[in-house]
Amino acid sequence: MVGVVSARWSVEQVESVAPSPAAITNAQPLSTPTRWAGLGADERVVWGSCKGSGAEPYDTAVDHVTVGFRCTCPSRKTPCKHALALLLMWAQGQVPDGVPTARVEAWIGRRLAKQQGAGAPDASNADAEPDADPGPAGTADTGAGAAADVAPSPGGDGGAIDDEPPPPAPPPSDEERDAARDERIARMLAGLTELDRWLDDRIRTGLADPALARYATWDHLAARLVDAQAGSLANRIRRLAGLVGASADWHDDVLAELGILHLLSQAGRRIGQLPNSLADSVATTVGWQVRQADVLGGVPDTDDWVVAGRSDVREDRIEVRRHWLRGTTSGRWALLLSFAAYQQSLDTSLDVGTSIRADLHRYPGPALRALAGRRHAEPVVARPPTQTVAEACDEIGRMIVAEPWLERVPTTVTAALARSGDRWLLTDHEASIPLLDSPRRMQAGSGLATLLAVTGGRPAELTIEWTPHGVTPLSLHLPDRTIDIGPRADSSFVGAA
Amino acid sequence: MTNDRERTAEHGEDDGERMPMAEQWRNLVTAALLGTDRRDPPDAEGPLAELVADTARAAPSERMLAQVAACTAIRRAAILPGPAVALTSAPDTDQRRECVPAATERWHHITSSWPVLEDEWMLTLIVNRWRLAAELVPVALQRHRSDPVRHARVRAAAGPAADWLIEQLPDLACTKQGVVDSEAIGELIELPIPPELLDLLHASGKQVGATVGAAIEQGRFAHAHRAVLVNLIARVAPAGLPDLIDALDGVDPHSSGAGLASVLADLALTRQRMLDELSV
Repeated sequence: MVGVVSARWSVEQVESVAPSPAAITNAQPLSTPTRWAGLGADERVVWGSCKGSGAEPYDTAVDHVTVGFRCTCPSRKTPCKHALALLLMWAQGQVPDGVPTARVEAWIGRRLAKQQGAGAPDASNADAEPDADPGPAGTADTGAGAAADVAPSPGGDGGAIDDEPPPPAPPPSDEERDAARDERIARMLAGLTELDRWLDDRIRTGLADPALARYATWDHLAARLVDAQAGSLANRIRRLAGLVGASADWHDDVLAELGILHLLSQAGRRIGQLPNSLADSVATTVGWQVRQADVLGGVPDTDDWVVAGRSDVREDRIEVRRHWLRGTTSGRWALLLSFAAYQQSLDTSLDVGTSIRADLHRYPGPALRALAGRRHAEPVVARPPTQTVAEACDEIGRMIVAEPWLERVPTTVTAALARSGDRWLLTDHEASIPLLDSPRRMQAGSGLATLLAVTGGRPAELTIEWTPHGVTPLSLHLPDRTIDIGPRADSSFVGAA
Repeated sequence: MTNDRERTAEHGEDDGERMPMAEQWRNLVTAALLGTDRRDPPDAEGPLAELVADTARAAPSERMLAQVAACTAIRRAAILPGPAVALTSAPDTDQRRECVPAATERWHHITSSWPVLEDEWMLTLIVNRWRLAAELVPVALQRHRSDPVRHARVRAAAGPAADWLIEQLPDLACTKQGVVDSEAIGELIELPIPPELLDLLHASGKQVGATVGAAIEQGRFAHAHRAVLVNLIARVAPAGLPDLIDALDGVDPHSSGAGLASVLADLALTRQRMLDELSV
């Protein structure tokens, strides 16, 4: 197919392109032909499809002449373990000769065209897959941006294997960025279409369908949404699976969440027709990833921010800490997130019941989520203004009107913990709002038991977190201090909770 | 309690005959349980009908999904608080002062690091007529649910608030039934201390410090003796604690027992501060 011919690589050469020794270790279990389909190699490229953790197999190809990698897996490492595994098999003579598929052919064609356009072949990996584009891993919540990886090379100039290393790859051009973005949008739209088809199936067959009790029903869709770069929706689907059978009225909860998913899917597919602010909110909620650097580059929202409440929630294998801040001047709420995998530490730099003058940088749209910027002063003791239960419900409603898909909303309220039948509620003299926890779950060490003991059932100032299933008290603001009673991470899981 | 927006959301805008949102939602849930293959979705009414009116939505499941989405968004945005509920009657008043925040913090430190001091902490609090801090009551009751004496001691320390809380949260009651000896509640349990150290219980702080410090420095007391030394320091006369702390701090940092001395000094210091914070 091209005039340049490379000899088959040695295993050492494969190891030399790995981003780390661990990458080779991770690739080795995959370097067996039984894990692959459609394996083939010619004088320019080696290709195959590997069954990974996603719903679809990952299509992998390696240009072994001018050294470039392509893989549809979500890894941001280049080369990923699939590309390394493919090369290992090829190096060991386990990949048969063949004719490239149309997709591989097209990829190689694009590489050749670029190299000819540049005047000479090089080892650039400028056509790395969009999977390697900037964006946080996991959900939109994670917010950890990453630059596109640059391919290392075992050889260099013109792709000869044992030459000097090539110069660093140039940053992708605007056209390349646009192409990557377009491909990503197409993938996301395909994922949203599939989501809506799945929702349609659920509504047709009904919530009494035994398939709902099977984890695979939800997990397959979640895996497809991950492939479609809609990680936030995938997480939402997994949370939704946990609602099935979880309470007496789980059908209500599941149906409502199916409705919100439909709303998001429809909005996501029409995102170009939405007002900018709403489009930003939809994109972030679906899973479109925004780089932290871009957020931090925005205009700061400077205020005296009262750290009103904190809550820790385990989501899959990650502990998520939410700090709810309220601007003293603006009255607007903001959300700071921190994440910890097993034995990692959560953010402990913010004390509930203090106020700090600082810059916050908000994510695009009407988002509550923000990143902390510069601090201008030391924290001082403070508490947010409070209101009645009815006023708090109004405040929650206003935030949900802007973003109906919100799953948590903070507010402050003066109310007493009281019981009605077998449910606990927060009540004042006019209205009440139910708690998320049932009495069964009100354990002695929980924040609710502390709230009950400290208030003795009398009204108190509280910061609470609304969810569609009830509210959770996060902090109790006493005249002289604030007690943090929000759900706390399991100390055996995180390093510093 | 309702406001205009909520009234609109739950009952329709202006028309008493229009189906309330709550009823509309119930109909949707019923249809969703069976599935639109077996039951047609309910007809939307009023503003909801206008919202989901779309000729492109030919399939019943599509019309149903549109209604569910719109109905959920409306119901969540128009969050409806429930009626006010009668407040729970408050516990009887306890005239004792609540223990100071430093003592509360100390209790957390003691229960996590030096549980050998917990009984003395609680008894000193009771004897000096402090009241257990409210935030500690549920945790302490839970901690001693299976120990009738200590559970009774927490109830004495917390006063009426403890019984009130148990009434609200029955899981906090003691799991073992029976009468608790009132004398046992007011007594510290005896800790195992070897006969050769028993005399030190009543010796001066200087003497205890000199004896223990020298033995640690010379290697006669090592980590194997840690448990009995902890018991000794938890029971020596409180007046001798400052001298004991000085002696333990003075152990040669290069000696093999320096680590043990440091740990025991922390215990002695914790006990001294605990007693200071709970003094009258």
